[in-house]
Amino acid sequence: MRVVIHDLKDEDSAGKVIEHLGDVHVIADDGTIHRCLGCFGCWTKTPGVCVIRDAYGDMGALFSKCSEVFIISKCCYGGFSPFVKNVLDRSISYVHPYFVNKDGEMHHKRRYKNHVRLQVSFYGETTEQERETAKGVAQSIATNLWWDLAGVSFGDDIADIRGAIS
Amino acid sequence: MKITLINGSPKPSQSASGRILQFLQPLLESERHENTLHAWRGPDLDSQDALDLCECDALIFAFPLYVDGIPSHLLNCLMQLEERLAHIEKDIKVYAIVNCGFYEGHQARWALAMMENWCHRAQVQWGYGIGLGAGGILAGDNAIPLDVGPNRNLGQALRKLAHSVTNRVSDQNLFITANFPKLLYKLGGEMGWRKNARANGLRARDLSMKR
Repeated sequence: MRVVIHDLKDEDSAGKVIEHLGDVHVIADDGTIHRCLGCFGCWTKTPGVCVIRDAYGDMGALFSKCSEVFIISKCCYGGFSPFVKNVLDRSISYVHPYFVNKDGEMHHKRRYKNHVRLQVSFYGETTEQERETAKGVAQSIATNLWWDLAGVSFGDDIADIRGAIS
Repeated sequence: MKITLINGSPKPSQSASGRILQFLQPLLESERHENTLHAWRGPDLDSQDALDLCECDALIFAFPLYVDGIPSHLLNCLMQLEERLAHIEKDIKVYAIVNCGFYEGHQARWALAMMENWCHRAQVQWGYGIGLGAGGILAGDNAIPLDVGPNRNLGQALRKLAHSVTNRVSDQNLFITANFPKLLYKLGGEMGWRKNARANGLRARDLSMKR
């Protein structure tokens, strides 16, 4: 399965931006996402799924069934937009609460063994420092989720990112 | 000097970020600074909070590292605050303390970079940040005082921060970890997860459940 997480609005012609990706599961902002409460219930109450049962409560299980994840996000201070970050914050059930050492750093143990290729496309006006931060953030997230980062691209506006992911 | 402390943890109580700011408050008071503490647990910036912040001399954020970055609700608040700050005359210095559940404080480097980038956008001055590893030690009902046992490095870092605020110093980010062995932190953390699972009526092996 291929998953697209994006923060594009209808007026941004979201469909056109991702139509070339074909059959994908789309995670978009329907205005109902609840913020992560930091309760760790997705690890110790309902392991593998978020205790908040809105439309974004099964992100960890969804990631376990996919082979490619595409993230399209406005670049905010070198990171993701609040919606995309919220989705990621609600996804930590994808990993196990236990720790392991990887290249001398502590990370969470894998819960699932699937291989995922991550592509990130940021849009919006950015500074050089923000682009450097964004590349670092994308790599760190890939490392922590045990994914392979296939690429990070930037576009000044949404039209620029059409075709940047494939 | 008027200083505003912002706890960016979504937890209503017993957050490591709250504990860090509780440690910092008396250090700021000993430097004769007036400080007020705000907790931002949701995505909407309170109007009164925004007014207070616009009038302060220094802003100190403390928040947990969420998926290598700033928690989404806090990011929302920062975007709203950027709008407010961009339109006023001010001379505000910003510091940030990011606590990581991981052992290594440097895993907070990208979250601190984002805070620095936010400062540029909001046209306020970046002081520096502290990345604290093994922040899990501070969470819950842990009552270990500052400067004692695992909190010795944190004590040094917070004292430096209080002096830096007084002297309006900007510096390189500081990455520290608790004075506690990595292996014991790992084992203690895992014991804690099993204890929490059992308290929720689960077995330890349920922690590995696949969906």
